[in-house]
Formats: sequence, structure tokens, C-alpha cells
Amino acid sequence: MIEIEGLTKAYRSRIAVDDLTVTVEPGRVTGFLGPNGSGKTTTMRCILGLTRPTAGTATVLGRPYRELAQPMRRVGALIDPRARHGGRTAYAHLRVLAQSNAVPQRRVDEVIELVGLGPVAHERVRGFSLGMAQRLGIAVALLGDPDVLVLDEPVNGLDPEGIRWMRELLRDLADEGRTVLVSSHLMSEMEATADHLVVLGQGRLLADLPMTDLLGRHAAVRVRSPQASLLARALERAGAAVDYEPDGSLWIEGMDVVEVGDVAYLSGLRVHELTQITASLESAYLALTQDELEYQAVPL
Amino acid sequence: MRGKVPFRAVLRSEWSKLRSVRAPWWCSAIYLLVVGGAGWLAAAGTDTAPSAAVATSIALTGFGVGQVVLVVLGVLAVTVEFSSGMALASLTAVPRRTRLLVAKTLVVAVWCALLSLFLVVVCVLAAHVQTAVPGGMSMRDPDVLRALALQVGAAALTGVLAVGLGAVLRSTAGAVGAGLALVLLLPPALALSGGSWQVRLSQALPALRVGEDAFLAAATTWQVGMAVIGAWAVAAWVLGAVLLERRDV
Repeated sequence: MIEIEGLTKAYRSRIAVDDLTVTVEPGRVTGFLGPNGSGKTTTMRCILGLTRPTAGTATVLGRPYRELAQPMRRVGALIDPRARHGGRTAYAHLRVLAQSNAVPQRRVDEVIELVGLGPVAHERVRGFSLGMAQRLGIAVALLGDPDVLVLDEPVNGLDPEGIRWMRELLRDLADEGRTVLVSSHLMSEMEATADHLVVLGQGRLLADLPMTDLLGRHAAVRVRSPQASLLARALERAGAAVDYEPDGSLWIEGMDVVEVGDVAYLSGLRVHELTQITASLESAYLALTQDELEYQAVPL
Repeated sequence: MRGKVPFRAVLRSEWSKLRSVRAPWWCSAIYLLVVGGAGWLAAAGTDTAPSAAVATSIALTGFGVGQVVLVVLGVLAVTVEFSSGMALASLTAVPRRTRLLVAKTLVVAVWCALLSLFLVVVCVLAAHVQTAVPGGMSMRDPDVLRALALQVGAAALTGVLAVGLGAVLRSTAGAVGAGLALVLLLPPALALSGGSWQVRLSQALPALRVGEDAFLAAATTWQVGMAVIGAWAVAAWVLGAVLLERRDV
């Protein structure tokens, strides 16, 4: 479990994280979303004790990260795939980090095979592609078989096979009861992986809710009817928001298919199509952050 | 599995770090070559010396220049962490930062001392073979032993100073520059400029030829020389540790 309370990080000219309070629960994958510069990485660095907050606290398993007795066995972190010395081999890189936490040598062999770097284990990491560097970073995170994972953009640079592997890995880790906090810009990927979402905008908490809630909130119903204008009026009287689509069908928000069907039946109107439209995470996310931007633009 | 990670684990990790990249090996090879070569040549150019202490002192001349390599080695051990980005991984693995710096410093200082121990033996051997001394050269001569011990101790302290400078400045160019100014350029420059306060200042700067023949710098007694280099090493290191604890990575 990760607990963040009133976390604030101010740099000289801007506030990166603004009074953030959120709890990341174990047993599920928590997706960490937000536009560029919204404070995701800064928050993760504060969790790991790499950045000192201006105010507030971040604790992992009840303690500040810097006070953990066996950091790598408690928390696995991937902050930057370039966090390595180019002159070391993948194997040497993992070995020096494993040694620093008294993680046995055979675990190095295990994780190197697990992330698929076996064939290049003894090559210098300088020549690694971004995807290979990411895999090495994930290997570092998994070295101590930790209870908590903090991963910043882990699928960045991975090939499709790697992305699927990552998705399954995160799923398995969460199912084993671990805490998984993962940020990503790939919305379709996040939609397939995360159970819960934490969304930041300009350093502040925009949303902290289960994935299904956010998607449900932005769901819609499409209706095709030869009596569209009559149906639209009936639906609006019943409290729905109705839009006309270019093809003449109606786009209804605020009601599900059952309610729309009942309204049509009670009004004695014919319906040719009645479709539940599930929102994509991308559209729901954009609507959420767009609201925030508009809110920001209004002077109070 | 429970309990704190033992300190020797961090120490082992730092030792592996030093061994698993090339720069420290290059630095060590150059140090051996420069100091050993200079010592052998200096001894070869000295047919006779009035005492074993003088013969030893001549053979140890190379340390004056060789310390430059120790500065580079010690600085790189820290600054490469920051320039490569490795510091993110290192400080996530060992978030008790002073603990990490202590381990790194010990590894660097011991390595510097071991290299220097090997070199002083080579240098004395060079003097023993090539320089004639009334009564002969002996490793058991207290004057010779003291010179050797001072050299090894000062080398370890130079390593500590360099690690401290690296932690304070975080930039290789900045820290190597500052280190070279302190141990190599300023002491003779100030001494040669001649004014009395310049000479005093020169004596208050760290130089690896503690006391003895201070490599163009103003000479001091060995006690003062060791105290000066020790004070600089401790000051730079403590400042480095405080800044490392406080700053963001």
C-alpha cells in the first residue's frame, strides 16, 4: 500500500504537485494518468525518496521509503530506463544492485531470463535499444520480489509482444496481492491493464476511481427511430441529454438502454436501433482533462 | 530475510561497481605507470644519496604528479553515477544516502591505499637497486617506513577528498578541476609567487607529498602536511554527504 497525504512539490517557478492525497491499494493495478507535466513522475520520485516534498508525506507499507530496512524487497521501481551506466553489462548492472540489498546472485539469473534479456546478458547496456533498456529496468524492479511496484511508463518503447507480456505481468503481480502503481500515455494499454485510475491535472487530483466507473460515466446510447424528433423530446422530458448525429440517429447521455427503451415504449414511438455505446478510456480521459482545462480557463 | 541490509552488502555492491566499468582500471594502470616509472627513473638518475630517507624521498617523486590520477578516480566514482543516470537506481536501491557514500568512499580509499602500497614498495626497491646510500637501504629504516606510510595514508585521504568533491559538485569536469587546483596547481603556484601569506596558504592546501619534498610547493613538517590533507578530505566529504542527503536526485 502507498499512502500519499497532502503531497506538495514546488520548484522555483512552478508547482509540480499540489496538495495530493491518495491511497494506492494492494491487489489491483492502479493506472496513473495525466497530461505531460501533470506531476506523475514527481509524485513517483517523492514516493521513492528521490525527491524531497515541499510539504506532505508519502509512505510505502506505512513507512517513508528512506526508512525501509530492505528497500528492494519491499518496493520495485522503474523511474527512468536510462538509469544505468552504459559501460556495464546487463548482468553486471543487475548484480551491483542485487548486492546492495543482499539479494542472492541466482535471482539475477532468474530476472534476466524473466524479462527476456538472457541472450544479451553479457553485452554492455550502452548499445541497448529503448525496449531492451525498459526490460532491464523492469528486471531491476523485480530483483527483490517486492510487495509494491512503482513503474513510470514501463511499456514505453516495448514491441507489441513486450507490451502484452507487460500487461500479463502486471495482472499477475496484482493478483498475487501486490500493490502496482503504473503510469502510461497509452490509453488503450491502460484500459486493458488497470483496475483503478488516479488522474492528475496540473499537479492536482482530478479523479481517483475504478476504471468501470469512469467508463460508465462517459457511456452513451444510440437510437435510430423514424420518429426521431418526437423521441428526442420525450427523452429530454425524461431527463436525458440528446444530440443529433449526422446520420439522423440520436446520441443520448445520462440514460442506459433500458431507460431509453422504456421511454420509447411509453411514448408509443417506434425504434429501429438501440445500441449501448461504451466509452473508450481515451475519450473518457480526454473529457476529464478537458473539463479541467476549461475549469482552469474560467477566471473566478 | 528480515532486518536491515548489512553494511557489507552495500560495500560489496560498491566494490563491484568500481570493478565493472573501465575508467577505474585505466586510472589505476596510469597511476602505476606514472608513479612507478617516475620513481624508477628518479632513482636511476641518482647514483648516491646521503641517507636512506633522502634516497626514498627521491624515488617517491612520482606521487606528486600521480595524485592527479587518484583525484580523477575518486571523482569519477561519484560523478559517473549522476552523469549516467545510475544515481537514480543506486539511491533507490540504497535510500540511506550517507550509508551509500560511506561504502563508496571506503572502497575508493582502500583501493587508492592498496595501489600506493604496491607503488611505494616498487619505489623503495628502485632506490635500493639503483641508489648507493652509506650504510645501505633497508625497508626497516624508521625514516623510510614513515615516508612509505605517509604516502599510503595520504593517497587514501586524496581518494576521500576526491569522492567528497564529486558529491559536492556532481559534475566530472567541475570536480576534477577543483581537485587539480587544490592538490596540483595552487600549492606550487602560490608558493612560487613568493609573498609570505601566499606561502602560508600554499602550506594549508592538500598535497600528496605530505611534508617531505612538497613538489615545488612550500614544505611543511609531515605532521602539518597530514593534518592539512586530512582536514580537507574530511571537510569536503562532510559537505558532500550533507548535500547528498538534502538534494533531490
